[in-house]
Amino acid sequence: MWYFLELLANGALVGLMYSLAALGFVLIYKSAGVPNLAQGTLVMAGAYAVWFFISLGLPLWIAVLIGCVVLFVFGLLVERLLLRHMVGQPVIMVVMLTLGLEILLRGLVPGVLGAAPKPLSIGVGLSPVIIGDVFLNRAYLWGGVLALVLIGLSLAFFRTRLGTKMRAVSDDHVASWAVGLSVERAIGLSWGIAGIAAVGAGTLWGSVQGVDWTLSGLLFPAIAVVILGGLDSIPGVLVGGLLVGILGSVIPGYLDSMVGGSTREVVTSLIILLTILVRPYGIFGREDIERI
Amino acid sequence: MNWLRRTTRVMALAAGLGTGAAMAQDAPIKFGLLQDFTAVYTFVSGEYNQGQQDYLALVNAEGGIDGHKFEAIVRDTGNQPQRGIEAYNRAREEGAILFDFLSTPVSRALVDQAMKDKVVLITALHGRGDASDGTVFPYVFPMMATYWSQATVLIKYLEDNGGLEGKKIALVHIDSPFGKEPLPVLEDLAGQKGFELKAFPYPSPGNEQSATWSEVRRYKPDAVLIWGAGGGQSVSVREGIRNGIDPENILSVVWLAGTDAKNVGADVMTGVKRFEAVSSGTDPAIIQRILEKVVEPGNGAGDKANVGSSYYNIGVATMAVAVEAARLALESEGAPLDGTKLKAGFEQIKDFDAEGLMPEITITPEDHQGGGAGRVSRWNGEAWEPVSDWGAAYQDIVRKEIEDGAKAYEGGN
Repeated sequence: MWYFLELLANGALVGLMYSLAALGFVLIYKSAGVPNLAQGTLVMAGAYAVWFFISLGLPLWIAVLIGCVVLFVFGLLVERLLLRHMVGQPVIMVVMLTLGLEILLRGLVPGVLGAAPKPLSIGVGLSPVIIGDVFLNRAYLWGGVLALVLIGLSLAFFRTRLGTKMRAVSDDHVASWAVGLSVERAIGLSWGIAGIAAVGAGTLWGSVQGVDWTLSGLLFPAIAVVILGGLDSIPGVLVGGLLVGILGSVIPGYLDSMVGGSTREVVTSLIILLTILVRPYGIFGREDIERI
Repeated sequence: MNWLRRTTRVMALAAGLGTGAAMAQDAPIKFGLLQDFTAVYTFVSGEYNQGQQDYLALVNAEGGIDGHKFEAIVRDTGNQPQRGIEAYNRAREEGAILFDFLSTPVSRALVDQAMKDKVVLITALHGRGDASDGTVFPYVFPMMATYWSQATVLIKYLEDNGGLEGKKIALVHIDSPFGKEPLPVLEDLAGQKGFELKAFPYPSPGNEQSATWSEVRRYKPDAVLIWGAGGGQSVSVREGIRNGIDPENILSVVWLAGTDAKNVGADVMTGVKRFEAVSSGTDPAIIQRILEKVVEPGNGAGDKANVGSSYYNIGVATMAVAVEAARLALESEGAPLDGTKLKAGFEQIKDFDAEGLMPEITITPEDHQGGGAGRVSRWNGEAWEPVSDWGAAYQDIVRKEIEDGAKAYEGGN
C-alpha cells in the first residue's frame, strides 16, 4: 500500500512538472492554432539560459528573471522573423518550421554553451519528505507547487483584457482582424509567454537531471499531456499532466520488474494512441464541428 | 563551436609542425577521431577528444616517433551511422589508418567496412565487447576493459570488501542494450558466488527514475550497481541517496565523473565508487608533460580546466596506446604505416601502462581487450581516489561472453 501511495504521489508531482513543459505548447496552440514541436528545445534553452546567468555569478532568482526576459524576447522574435512569413501557408509547413527550429536549437545551444551536463542548483536538499513509508522527492514537491502556480497564473491571465483578446484571436483569426485585433501581436505574445513557461520547466528539470540537450526530450511527455488534456485547454494541461505522471509511475512500478524492461514509454505511447482514437480533442479540448 | 575551433587549431598545429626538419619525413600518420559532439555522447566526447588531440600534440612537440608526426582528423557524426559512414569515407580518402568513433551505433555500423578496408578501429569503453576476440575481429581493438570486465572488477571489489555470500545486489540500469550488457556476467557470478541479483531498468535517457528507486529501496540491497551514462547517472546517484542507500554502497560503471559530482553536489556524493579504466587528475607524468609542453604554451585543444578530468585522461590513454602501436609498427614493419602494419603494432603491445596512467595492457592477436584490467575509485568529496589496485577479475567468465558473441557474429547474428 505504501509502495502504491509513493508511486502515486511522486507520479503526480512529476506529472505537474510535465504540465509545466506542456503549458507553452497549449499557449501557442490556443493563439496560433499550430502545434509547436520546438517546445522541448525551448525548455532546454530556458535551462541553459538560467545556468549561463548563474555561471556569471548572478543569484538564482535574477538568473531566472533574466532568462524569462531572454526567452520572452526570443518568442517574440520567432513570431516576427519566422511565423509572420508563413501567413497563408499550409499549417503543415508551419509545423515543419517549428520542427526545423527544434533541430536548430538542439544543435546550436549546446554547441555554443557546451554540451557536457551542467549543474543547476535551486537549493533544494536531497533529503526526502517522509510520510509513513512514503518518500516524497523534495525537488518534485517544489516543482509541483510552481507548476500549479504558473498554470493558475495562466488561467487568470486569460481572464484579463489582454487575455480575452488572445482568446478571441484563438477563436477566429479573420474575425479578429475584422474587429481590429492584432493577430500577429497575440501570437507573438503567446510565444513569449511560452518562453517564460519554458524557463520555469527548464529550471526545475535542469535542477533534477543537470542541464544538457536531453531536456529537449521532454517534448514527448509534453505531447502526451496536451493530447490527453486537450490541445487548447489550460485546465487540460493540469489534468493531463497528473494522469500521464501517475500512470507513468504506477504502471511501470509494478510491471517493470515482471517484464524485465521499462514500460513507461509504452504507457505514454498508449495514452497518445488511445486518446486520439477515442477522444481526439482530449478531455477538455474544444471539439470544433464544421459544416461540410 | 568549441570542437570545431579546437580541430582547426590542432590541424594547423600539426601542419605547422610538419614544416622544417620534419619535412624530410613521410606524411603525418593520420587518425580519424570522428565522434559525436552534438548528440548522445556529448557528456564525454568534448573532454575525451580534447585529451586525444592534446596527446598527439605532445608527441608532435616532442619530435614525433623518430620524426613521424601525427595528425588528428576530427569531425562530428552526431551519433548517426549515416554521418559516421560519410565521415569515415572522407577520412579514408584523406589517408587515415585508425578510427575512433566513440559511439556504439557508429562503431557497430562500420565494423565490417573497417575490416574490409584493413584499417584499425579502436573501441575503448564502447562498441562491441565481443570484438575483443582478435581472431574474429582482426582490425577492431577495444583495448580497455569491456563492460563485462568492468562488472567483474566491481564484483571482485565487493567480494574483497565484505564478501558476496547471501548478499543482495541491485543492478539499476538504463533500459538499453548497453544497460543490459553486464547482466549475463553478473548472473553467472551470482550463481558462482552465492549472491542474489535483481535488475531494475529505468527508461532512457534517465531524467526521471523515482519509481525505479522506490522499488530498489524496498528490495533493501547490500550494494547497488548503477549502469547508465550522461545526465542519467547523476539522477541515479541522487535518487539512490534520497532513498536511503548509503553512497558507500553505490558503485558505477566507468561513466561517472567529476561533472556528475558537481551535478549531484560534491559533498553529497562522497563515498560513491566507480570502475576506473584510467587514472584521473593531473599527477600522471604524461598529463604533466601535456601541461608543460602543450597547454602552457597555448596549444591546448580546449579549456585548461578539463586537463586531468576523468574523460580527458581516458582520451589521452587511447592515443597513448595508439601511438605506442604506431611506434612498434614502425620498428617492426617500417614506414610508411598502413592499417595492416598498425594492427601488427597493436598486437605487439606488452605491459604498456602509459607511464602509470593506466593498468598494464598486453594485446595479442587473440585478445584485443588487453587483459580487461581496471580498479575501483571512490569520490572523496573533491576527487576520485583509488580504493583498489589495478587488476582484472574472472576473465574466464568474460572470455566466455566474448567468444559466444564472436561466434554469433560469425554466424551472422
